[in-house]
Amino acid sequence: MKINRTVEFTWHVIFMATVLVLVFPIIYAVGMSFKPLEDAYNNVLNIFSLHPTLENYITFFDTLPVLKVTMNTFIIASVATIFKVFTSFLAAYAFVYFQFKGKEIVYFLLISTIFIPFTVTMIPNYLIISDLGLLDSVWGVILPQLADAIGIFLITQSMRSIPLSLIEVARLDNLGHGKIMKDIVFPLVRPAVTSVGIWFFISSWNEFVWPVLILKTTENYTLPLALQMYISSEGGTNFTVAMAVSVITMIIPLILYLTFQKYIIGTFTSSGIK
Amino acid sequence: MKEIRFEHVKKSYGNTEVVKDLNFTIREGERLILLGPSGCGKSTTLRMIAGLEDITEGSLFMNGKKMNDVPSGKRNAAMVFQNYALYPHMTLKQNIIYGLKVQKLSKEEIQSRLDFVLDMLQLKGLEDRLPKDLSGGQRQRVALARATVKRSDFFLLDEPLSNLDAQLRVSARKELLKIHDMFKQTMVYVTHDQIEAMTFADRIALMYNGELQMLDTPTNVYHRPANVFTAKFIGSPPTNILEMNYHEKSISIGQQSFELNEIWLKHIKQRNTSDLLFGIRPEHVELSTASFSNGYRGKVKYTENLGSNYSVYIDLDGQEVVAASDHKHWYKGDTVYFRPMMDRIHFFHKGTGNSIGYPEELLDADYKNKEESRVLA
Amino acid sequence: MSAFAAVRKSLQLNRENAIGYGLLIPSIIIFAVFTFWPFLYTVYLSFFDWNMISPEKEFVGFKNYMEVLGDPRTYQILGNTFLYIVILLAINCVVPYIFAFVIGVVLQRWNGFYKSALFLPAFISLVVGSILFTWILNPVSGPVAIVFGWIGLEIPNWTKTEGWVILVLSLITSWKVFGYNFILLYASINGISKEIIESARLDNIPLWRIFLQIILPMSSATGVYVFILTIVQSLQYVFTPVKVVTQGGPDYASSNLIYHAYHEAFVVYRTGHSATLSIMTMGLFLVLLFLYFKFADRGIYYEN
Repeated sequence: MKINRTVEFTWHVIFMATVLVLVFPIIYAVGMSFKPLEDAYNNVLNIFSLHPTLENYITFFDTLPVLKVTMNTFIIASVATIFKVFTSFLAAYAFVYFQFKGKEIVYFLLISTIFIPFTVTMIPNYLIISDLGLLDSVWGVILPQLADAIGIFLITQSMRSIPLSLIEVARLDNLGHGKIMKDIVFPLVRPAVTSVGIWFFISSWNEFVWPVLILKTTENYTLPLALQMYISSEGGTNFTVAMAVSVITMIIPLILYLTFQKYIIGTFTSSGIK
Repeated sequence: MKEIRFEHVKKSYGNTEVVKDLNFTIREGERLILLGPSGCGKSTTLRMIAGLEDITEGSLFMNGKKMNDVPSGKRNAAMVFQNYALYPHMTLKQNIIYGLKVQKLSKEEIQSRLDFVLDMLQLKGLEDRLPKDLSGGQRQRVALARATVKRSDFFLLDEPLSNLDAQLRVSARKELLKIHDMFKQTMVYVTHDQIEAMTFADRIALMYNGELQMLDTPTNVYHRPANVFTAKFIGSPPTNILEMNYHEKSISIGQQSFELNEIWLKHIKQRNTSDLLFGIRPEHVELSTASFSNGYRGKVKYTENLGSNYSVYIDLDGQEVVAASDHKHWYKGDTVYFRPMMDRIHFFHKGTGNSIGYPEELLDADYKNKEESRVLA
Repeated sequence: MSAFAAVRKSLQLNRENAIGYGLLIPSIIIFAVFTFWPFLYTVYLSFFDWNMISPEKEFVGFKNYMEVLGDPRTYQILGNTFLYIVILLAINCVVPYIFAFVIGVVLQRWNGFYKSALFLPAFISLVVGSILFTWILNPVSGPVAIVFGWIGLEIPNWTKTEGWVILVLSLITSWKVFGYNFILLYASINGISKEIIESARLDNIPLWRIFLQIILPMSSATGVYVFILTIVQSLQYVFTPVKVVTQGGPDYASSNLIYHAYHEAFVVYRTGHSATLSIMTMGLFLVLLFLYFKFADRGIYYEN
């Protein structure tokens, strides 16, 4: 669209400033994680230290079972993602290709859980996990996360965009639902499934509220919990170490996002909310 | 018997009846065109044959067996969709043979069918392309190929040519005829295009408002329309349907009268009715600058150039008459004399819109077959 | 024969139904066990006095509701919650709407870059964000305080100041939420036919009118969704910075309904109060949802 040069310039300034505010902390964290502690306090404005050091990472590795914590985070995120994608795909297939009584109501009920605040389910879920003896274990974190309303919604939207005639051709060829799912529907919604999967993985990776209730001991922590522990238990003294933990926490989501951003933005921008 | 029979078939969505009481038979090996304006129920009818829509009431027989509850895959039918419904993630070849592989045919059989159809539809050399890398015409041929390789008894087509341009349509029609000659499937073909219907059909089933209006050969549908709807739907510009008054020896339209011959007078007398509409196709109206002894006078309202001929819109005492003229250009305001060709006129009951039929003497040998000209509406 | 066919027909339909339901079973079980049942159980708990440990729950009727409604702190927290909602809506609903319009419709350069960059923080842990911003906005030694110091401005000690604390925690939460909302709105606006906007431009309609009179109504279904989502989900996201930075302080000045329910349950072990607060929050959300569907049903333009 043709617009006034000055107006255009002003908007670019506004957007650049916003981008700066949003992205600056990430860059700043990377810089800080390589600073000696006193440098962090004395040379606040230097993003990158003049005396870069790995000592923060070393301290972090020395004081925490880093591998264990990272593995915990990874296991929770992967298992939850695989299950959520699987259950969402099956549910979406049922909603799109079957006509059965009560379908609309079930869909409405499942989707409306997006609007239920977690405090409403927090105590009973805590008790369930506790009764199952899964407190302070990764499975206790995983268990309530095996299905997801947003996932059902996004994959349903994506399936709806497949022309129905493709499925009808398959039906005329006497194909069963398993084959239709595997050979036709899944390949066609793969981009959506991939980005929904990445979204699940990252959300679960970053999840804080639920793990903070379930996980008690350091070696069962996930990365965000370990990070919070550094801040709350040792005050500001370990700030640069916390920055190193931050970098470790961010790195996987960042890589995934930067690699798949086209896919992900595509899925979120093509499905639309109705 | 690869025939398809509808017995009191109805289809409704909630309270809306989209197909009302269909009763007819599609004969083994014929090319039947389901023709009609959009929303007339023709696609729904086809989809009921395919088993993609449930039948609300009545029975559908295929091959002599009741099919109401038989799933699509077990009806031995192949279908070509308007949007072709090619699997976008499969190559041309995979698209064609996917159904055969699921049927567990032998490798050799699949290969030989594939080679045959690729050859027939000039798709050789494109086997590994994805649908998005094919032209519209090629995609259409892939859809045909995929339906053809199944070698099924019933071949269903839902507006298969409507996404092609005029030239491609002509060649695609030829290919369809070739396929049909080869395999003699019972072909049911849905279209809203009357040219396609005329050129391709053994018989046309014209539908409107969920009801069958006429089922007959293209010639009869054109020359002996069963009702006003058929007369107006077939042909372009449509048949003129005029208000008229019936007198002992003549009919009058507006202030002017027109004498009928003995054959028509006798025929109308036998029908014992005088509440009639008069019908005449534009191409059956003779135009002249000089008056006819038995004809009408009117004023030209405007003319349309159709390339091959002109459509002249004439005001006849307040009613509009369209006439086709091949050479003379008529101008607005000109006085024009015209007369309908006596053996090409139609009369319809005013109330029902049904034809009163045609005098025996006017039926050419072609139309004499009473079976064929059965009026269905 | 016809009776036989009827039976077969119903079996056929049932088989289809059964497959459909079967595919839903995994999701339904998970949601039933971890969402719907807990929801009912929380309602149940709101009528009991309990500390989560003792084997006995004491039925107290509406006492929890009375106590919660009689507690002035509840109103303070309710007030905080509304303040959060207003700030979050301004930052995460109004601003991204305008951004999405300008990036989707007006600008022709760098659109892809802006989309990627604005969406980026949505993929990063809010714990990381909370810690970073706490440091960056540290009133004494943070980089912003130092830069402000050059021009003689001071940063308030926001973690300890009523009002400021809510504003800053909202900003931190927005860092995470903004991009997600922006992308949803962008998707909706991008789906509006370009011809409509072009024809408006040909009629020389100013941009702000195009935004208010064409874009806003045509994307309103998504708009309302984002509006509700901002309230419902960002309030929950606020939990993280509150927990990491202030633990609800100073003196409950940064607590909201969500954090307070957590606090009651897992810090002071009053499950009755916590459940009551949760049910009240749910009630508030239900009112919003009801308004949403009422709106959505009535005259809202649905894309496609």
